[in-house]
Amino acid sequence: MSSQITLTSSDGIDISVDRVVAERSVLIKNMLEDLGDSGEAIPIPNVNEAVLKKVIEWCEHHKNDPQSASDDDDNRRKTTDIEEWDQKFMQVDQEMLFEIILAANYLDIKALLDVGCKTVANMIKGKSPEEIRKTFNIQNDFTPEEEDQIRRENEWAEE
Amino acid sequence: MPPAMPQTPHKDDLEETWSFLEAGINSVMLKLEEGVDMKTYMALYTAVHNFCTSQKAVANNQGLQAHRGAHLLGEELYKLLGEYLSRHLAVVLNESKGHAEEALLGFYIREWTRFTTAAKYVNHLFSYLNRHWVKREIDEGKKNVYDVYTLHLVKWKDDFFENVHAKVMDAVLNLIEKQRNGETIEQSQIKSIVDSFVSLGLDENDSKKSTLEVYRQYFQRPFIDATRTYYENESRQFVAENSVVEYMKKAEARLDEEKARVGLYLHQDVAKTLTETCLDVLVTAHSTLLRDEFQILLDNERQEDLARMYRLLSRIKEGLDPLRSTFENHVRRAGLAAVEKVASEGDSFEPKLYVDALLQVHTRYQNLVDDAFNGESEFVRSLDNACREFVNRNRICKTATTKSPELLARYTDSLLKKGSKAAEESELEEMLVQIMTVFKYIEDKDVFQKFYSKMLAKRLVHVSSVSDDAETSMISKLKEACGFEYTNKLQRMFQDIQISKDLNASYKDWQDKVLDDDDRKRMVDAHYQVLGTGFWPLQPPTSDFTAPIEINRTAERFQKFYFDKHNGRKLTWLWQLCKGEVKANYIKNAKVPYTFQVSTYQMGILLLFNEADTFSYSDIQKATNLVPEILDPNLSIFLKAKVLTSSPEGAKPEPSTTFSLNYNFKNKKIKVNLNIQIKSEQKVETEDTHKTIEEDRKLLLQSAIVRIMKSRKKMKHVQLVNEVIQQVKSRFPPKVQDIKKNIEALMEKDYIERLDGDEISYIA
Repeated sequence: MSSQITLTSSDGIDISVDRVVAERSVLIKNMLEDLGDSGEAIPIPNVNEAVLKKVIEWCEHHKNDPQSASDDDDNRRKTTDIEEWDQKFMQVDQEMLFEIILAANYLDIKALLDVGCKTVANMIKGKSPEEIRKTFNIQNDFTPEEEDQIRRENEWAEE
Repeated sequence: MPPAMPQTPHKDDLEETWSFLEAGINSVMLKLEEGVDMKTYMALYTAVHNFCTSQKAVANNQGLQAHRGAHLLGEELYKLLGEYLSRHLAVVLNESKGHAEEALLGFYIREWTRFTTAAKYVNHLFSYLNRHWVKREIDEGKKNVYDVYTLHLVKWKDDFFENVHAKVMDAVLNLIEKQRNGETIEQSQIKSIVDSFVSLGLDENDSKKSTLEVYRQYFQRPFIDATRTYYENESRQFVAENSVVEYMKKAEARLDEEKARVGLYLHQDVAKTLTETCLDVLVTAHSTLLRDEFQILLDNERQEDLARMYRLLSRIKEGLDPLRSTFENHVRRAGLAAVEKVASEGDSFEPKLYVDALLQVHTRYQNLVDDAFNGESEFVRSLDNACREFVNRNRICKTATTKSPELLARYTDSLLKKGSKAAEESELEEMLVQIMTVFKYIEDKDVFQKFYSKMLAKRLVHVSSVSDDAETSMISKLKEACGFEYTNKLQRMFQDIQISKDLNASYKDWQDKVLDDDDRKRMVDAHYQVLGTGFWPLQPPTSDFTAPIEINRTAERFQKFYFDKHNGRKLTWLWQLCKGEVKANYIKNAKVPYTFQVSTYQMGILLLFNEADTFSYSDIQKATNLVPEILDPNLSIFLKAKVLTSSPEGAKPEPSTTFSLNYNFKNKKIKVNLNIQIKSEQKVETEDTHKTIEEDRKLLLQSAIVRIMKSRKKMKHVQLVNEVIQQVKSRFPPKVQDIKKNIEALMEKDYIERLDGDEISYIA
């Protein structure tokens, strides 16, 4: 039904994958259109094997989704609802979660990028700044004066 | 072995990143035919990505900046790419200067194809820039920032196109002129140029949409100007050297050709303007010349050329209007000439000849309108106007406008009477349809009605209709044309005949019951028609008449039967319309006795001779009671047919003459028709008919006036006159003078009165 292509991760590992699955990435889709499938392995210089496999797993699961037409999927983007499979998929350590988001952005896989960002958004939702700092292991580098100013500027968003 | 992955540049270093990208873009722009390998492709994309996501972004976002979100990198790359494209196009522009005409077109197309193909690649390689930095700039309403593909088009337009479009168009127009002159050209070149010009029309507000601005301004405008000039010159020269007919062919061919040109290699958008321009130069500019030829073409019946002229002039504004009156006059003249020809043959022409002449002219020009003028409604109207004119006002109608309806009615009668030549029923129907064609144009429809009903009455009374179906068909056609009222009486006449048939049947039954043997022996076999006075255009007898005893007895018996059935009705015997047959048993040398077909008047005279062989004029007159105006011609008929002989021999019927039965009567036929209409009678009848028309019109006008006043109560005089004209014009064209006269008459009779000023009021 569909031809196989090979992707080479940044750490030099070849991964074979259905062309349809790989084409969830607009980058790969455009390139195959422009250059044609020469049978050569496609180098993915910015993504390592572990992350690439994870991304491919997601693409495999979503290969039959309708290709979302750019911006008219506002509804999907406005909610933070995530379908069950994706929620499970995103139950990874923070390091991996961020790697997936970067890879989705690089490979131009919009839907995956959205799911990643929503996951992060859900981690922030309902938390105090201190809790957020703790969650993401961020050092507070504001001076007390700066913090005060920001709080005042954002009063409107509280309650 | 595949080439090694090119080393991606350091992501923070703009200079390094750009020189890496420039080398890649350069090979896409100039050496795409050598192919781009995957590793290079991915490396270029990655370089753009890495640069745009480099830590500098974070660095730039330090401090308390606005809350609009992350600052995006990429502006430098966008600028450098634009500069690169300008440099590339400067080289292309310089090279273009070495080319002209078709070679320039070839060069333009080649470079355009190379440039736009590369643009597609570069757009993909820079898609990270498009998705983030460019998108943000456009979302924030920045002008002059485009996605990378559109940037290519903008650069092409600004740096190259602006400098060469005039020269390119010159080449295009020269090529098209060559083709118009009959040479074969490379059409696909022009098609490619058109496509390129169209692509350059960018919508300032939405780079994804395109407008036709550039194409319209730089292609369409010079193309239309050139077309105008070309055809101005060509048509001027052509009409100087050729006939108008030839020119029309040329113009039509050119119009078709230009229409086809649009489909071949132009943009559909030009179609309307191109056609308008061509029509303006080829048709409107020469329309006077064309129209001057119209009369000549009509005179020579050049149907095909007329059709061509119609097609050309129908396409320009008001192009046909001046032709309509020419056409109308032409048809009218043709109609008048045809009538003139009939009139020149003397007074006693057949009505058929006249009607045929009218029809021929109508048919000829109806066909012309249908075939050459596409049945166009305005020409149909001109035809109708012309026909109405020559049908109602021509040489034969000169003495009286009522001549046309009279002749038409006579012709109709000749068709519907037994013994007409139209044998086939379908043929007869066809002729009735044609009669209605002429009838439509008749203004004095009341005159036709008068004559028609007289003749119908005769056909019915004398049972001489060719068929009931044909009669019904004609009546329903008239009804369709003029309404129920117009044919009401005609239909009632028809009904009376039907009722009379039933009446005769029941009379027969009655006789079977009532009569004894003696009665039966002396019975005269008879058929009766009872005709309603109000519906039939029949006059009571103009003479007294004592019917023969045999007839009288029969008549009285029927009368008794009828009055039993319908008490209180009055029957008047219309002896002048009755007829019968008598058997001549007295004639010697006849193996089978002769039968004479005679009128009742004639019967009254002949039956006298059962008593004696010879009678004097006064005896006959006394016995029959007939006035000399009727008696004399009938006696003449007997003398002429040698049924009677006169004494002194050869004497005319006058008081001194005596008449004897001719026992030696001889005739080739056994049935001899003596019931011949007398010529003078016919003439009197026609005159009478005309007289009753005047009388009827007076009544029609008066009843219209009363009807209008009754509903309006009060009205201005002028208004009333107009209203009356509206109401009666379907019957005849009334004269204002007559309407006024009848208004006066009604005032005298106190139906209406004059108020102050111009007003008239109804008196209840």
